[in-house]
Amino acid sequence: MRPLSQLIVFAIVLIALFALQNASALEHNIAGSGQLDYEYVPTARNGNANAGTYNAFDGFTLEAAAKLSVDVNEHLSANVKVCVGCHGFEPDMFYFDYRFQDELDLRAGRFSPSFGSFVLRHDPANQKLTDKPLPYDMGRMLRKDVWNNGVLPAPFPSNGLEVNGTHWFGDRVQLDYAAYAITGFRNDTDAYPVDLNFIESHSPTYYISTNGRPAFGGRTAITVKMGNASDMSAGASGMYGIYDPHDRFSYLILGGDLSLRVHHTNVRMEYLVRRQEMDTDDPSLFKYAVSPQRGNFFVKQGAFAELEQPLVTDLDLVARLDGMTRNGNVLATSPLSSNAYVIRETLGLAYAFDRNFRVKTSGELWEFSGPDPTTGRTTEVSLHLGVVGTF
Amino acid sequence: MTPPLRLLLLAVAAAAFASTGCPAEAPPSESSNLPESVRADYAVFAQRCSKCHSLSRPLNSGIVDDDYWAMYVARMRRQPGSGISPEDAKEILRFLHYYSLEERRKQEHKRIDDLAPVVDASAGDAQ
Repeated sequence: MRPLSQLIVFAIVLIALFALQNASALEHNIAGSGQLDYEYVPTARNGNANAGTYNAFDGFTLEAAAKLSVDVNEHLSANVKVCVGCHGFEPDMFYFDYRFQDELDLRAGRFSPSFGSFVLRHDPANQKLTDKPLPYDMGRMLRKDVWNNGVLPAPFPSNGLEVNGTHWFGDRVQLDYAAYAITGFRNDTDAYPVDLNFIESHSPTYYISTNGRPAFGGRTAITVKMGNASDMSAGASGMYGIYDPHDRFSYLILGGDLSLRVHHTNVRMEYLVRRQEMDTDDPSLFKYAVSPQRGNFFVKQGAFAELEQPLVTDLDLVARLDGMTRNGNVLATSPLSSNAYVIRETLGLAYAFDRNFRVKTSGELWEFSGPDPTTGRTTEVSLHLGVVGTF
Repeated sequence: MTPPLRLLLLAVAAAAFASTGCPAEAPPSESSNLPESVRADYAVFAQRCSKCHSLSRPLNSGIVDDDYWAMYVARMRRQPGSGISPEDAKEILRFLHYYSLEERRKQEHKRIDDLAPVVDASAGDAQ
């Protein structure tokens, strides 16, 4: 479906829902956010990040979204979210929830399946830094094309079904769980697919599945309230699917997350690992000799640890350490080695001028395992200045 | 300094912040304007609802109906890892009820203020 058609469909749904609201007791809520970020990479040659750091952003990036939530009744609700970002206009969510009770909810439509804890906060308005942690990066990291983004670029909307629920044990312990079957990721473009194609997976032209096998996954997490102003959550997630049209190559993503909140201090940690099978039918495509044993996959790992601390009213300090490794064979054209890594350290401030308007600024120090072929640098610096508004 | 050491340092710093009760804990600015009777409910609202999103999301939603707030908060309570227990939901709803009343009162005052010049002019005409 083309972007204009999507816009028309969204408008029709909005009008229909408002018309229905007048006729019944439908309750709706519209919310939205927009973030404009300027990223400058002073270490890039000639100030041109594309020349020096492989297609890094060096300029403005806008991420905007509008969300409509409708509570049809106490059992049925619907969510529609549209985004404008690097991919243009895109429906990020379009799903219904039918809740039998707290412990049993059926979700159907287009949504980001339950994986990790970050996905719930992926909207820029819900973060104090302008960019995402590296394991969830989608197009903002330096050398993004070489790394093919993060381990599981967020958001990762897909069509499918999810059964989820939550249960409280007393007033202190919350257990969450989810299981789903979705279209999953894909790569139909490459004759010899070696990795997920995230652009294709997001493209509106490719919302249908071509490999005939859904991807499956699930998540469970436990939250323990340790007092009136503190809680801790720990979760584990997994996803498995086939990504090529001939049902030959799989991906398996596993993740663990831990977050701690004490008063207004947040500490968050996540770890993700993806085992990705590759088509090695043509060994000449690869940089290294293809091993007959365990030579047909690579492993990509990513992790982050983040501290968010209010300094004074409306001013927050954020410190983050994140990184990724990639182990396994690479295409002959890739500058990566078979054991590549990237580490990033970030320090940022966020100031809320108004309840709905925040300024974010941060500095990032990058450390790559391999040099930039243009500048020879293995370290890079990037600076962000962004504003985010909500309604 | 190696990356694992940096990670360890960050973890230690985070633990220190958390264990010392946050040396620079900054309460949301709205609480100072609230009457004493709703501050405890507001504290639960601010603590629980800011875990995933800013407080502007609910406060600017335009919702002033108690029944809809009940559905809205129930939907949030069921979010994974929300940490909003059924008991918390009651306190959050108490605050939102107060907030809605205040919003309605402000809107009513604004409506009256907007009408005032018209009424004054009409009164002038009558004289």
